[in-house]
Amino acid sequence: MSSRARELVAVALRGARRAGLVWSISLASLIILTVAFWPSFRDQPELADIVEGMPQQLVDAFGLAEFNTPEGFLRGNLYAVLVPLLMAVAGVLLMNGQTASEEDAGRMEAYLAQPVTRGGVFVGRAVGIGVWLVVIGLVMLAAQLISNELFELEVGLNRMMATVALCTLLGAFHAGLAALVAGRTGRPGLVLGVGLAVAIAGYVAIALFPISDVLEPWRHASPWDWALGGDPLAEPTEWWRYAVLGIPAITMVGIGAWAFNRRDVTAA
Amino acid sequence: MTTVIEPLSVQGLVKSYGDVHAVRGIDLAVRQGEVFGFVGPNGAGKSTTIRCILDLLRPSAGEIRIFGRNPSVDSAEIRERVAYVPGELRLPERITPRQFLESIGRLRSRFDSSRLAELADIFKLDLDRRIRNLSSGNRRKVSVLSAFLTDADLFILDEPTGGLDPLMQHEFLQLVRERRASGSTVFLSSHILSEIQSVADRMAVLRAGKIVAAGTVAEIRGLARQRVEVWFEADAPPALARIPGLAEPEVDGRRFTAILTGSARPLLEILGTMSVSSIVIAEPDLEEAFLGLYQEEPAPAELDR
Repeated sequence: MSSRARELVAVALRGARRAGLVWSISLASLIILTVAFWPSFRDQPELADIVEGMPQQLVDAFGLAEFNTPEGFLRGNLYAVLVPLLMAVAGVLLMNGQTASEEDAGRMEAYLAQPVTRGGVFVGRAVGIGVWLVVIGLVMLAAQLISNELFELEVGLNRMMATVALCTLLGAFHAGLAALVAGRTGRPGLVLGVGLAVAIAGYVAIALFPISDVLEPWRHASPWDWALGGDPLAEPTEWWRYAVLGIPAITMVGIGAWAFNRRDVTAA
Repeated sequence: MTTVIEPLSVQGLVKSYGDVHAVRGIDLAVRQGEVFGFVGPNGAGKSTTIRCILDLLRPSAGEIRIFGRNPSVDSAEIRERVAYVPGELRLPERITPRQFLESIGRLRSRFDSSRLAELADIFKLDLDRRIRNLSSGNRRKVSVLSAFLTDADLFILDEPTGGLDPLMQHEFLQLVRERRASGSTVFLSSHILSEIQSVADRMAVLRAGKIVAAGTVAEIRGLARQRVEVWFEADAPPALARIPGLAEPEVDGRRFTAILTGSARPLLEILGTMSVSSIVIAEPDLEEAFLGLYQEEPAPAELDR
């Protein structure tokens, strides 16, 4: 990588530093605090009975099955809804913050006036956010492994790594989508609207569609299903799940850069 | 015959946003080693033109060449030779001027960071306070430094002195002259006529997206209107009204006022024979100076190429 390309990435790394750290610390805290409740869950079989009495669809929708097993506990409390949703939101917010929002505020112009291509500036921002998402994922994984150790929650290392990686890739997918809209329009409101709407629609598709026979097949259109449909905490993850999230993420950044290169840059 | 490649040429530039025509057909040719003034009231289309030149906006029609190359094709290579001070100044907030300027330096090959301390000293800029805590004048200095630390062949400066106090404006104009002396070309936009007059070689006046006058500064200066106010020791003589170049003459006791266009010589020659107690020939603001041009909307004077 040339020194200029490195600097274009560094601009985004610096620009998103505060947000990236806040996301890392928040998610790590969420994980540690949640796992801290594991010992009391494990020792109270009555909780499992309550779940037993609930309708199956509801149990599936909120990932409450096998609440008193380590996998079920993590799935129900963290990895069915909360962590993937937060990662998707983080992806959208971080990417927006370094692309459309910077452009809209007129702060990109100082860099676009330098001897670099527009596509280079845009891709540099996206790569910087990609690095931050990886950092957040690694911090999450570390927090998970440490708290598993502290609170005696036993889940295989491979399963844990796969689950966190898939959630991180779900974040990258939504970040890619944000980059696509930012590159095309440069409008931060639209980036947030589209990004968050797709994140929520994707969740609704895997959580609620299975309840309806008509909608059930459509759950497979959701990125959430690609990421989590294989129950990564319990089952080995197929390789294609990483690919169907990662490749579109990169492709959408590429299309966003292409579109950004073809339009007017927003004036401050 | 050798063809001289102009640092900047613009032909038939049009930029429209739907029904809004920000720039309506501009022709310019900036010569090697000159300071070219680009003057017009706010909203005339100066920044739109400049943002097209820098490839931040894509023209609706027309052709732009920087050192003979198309900025929307060879953008990165061209910008290696171009330094820019934007009109609307937005900088990253959470870093210091030093960090920002070092970052810009890493993006350019012709960046002379050895002058950083010297220029910061001249402009009295604190390099280590966060940009968000700087006044608009100090932010402007950061932007001026980012341009003048580069060893560019063409400086494109969009109202660069906005927010600077008079002393700093003076220092800035010194930098412009220094760059011209070392062979660089400067394209300087402003809505302050006196600034352009003091530093530019040639200039163009922009109004509502069109060039209404272009030529040497002396030529354009002759088109500008100035407000004349003369106080006499006795009642003002009515004969003054017939002096060539004077319009809207008004006599009020010992006071005489009028609008002067062109040379002041006929007026001064006559006044020299009279008992004048004081005289003021005021620099008009731009709107007023070129009121005549704006109202008549003549065919734009051709830039001699």
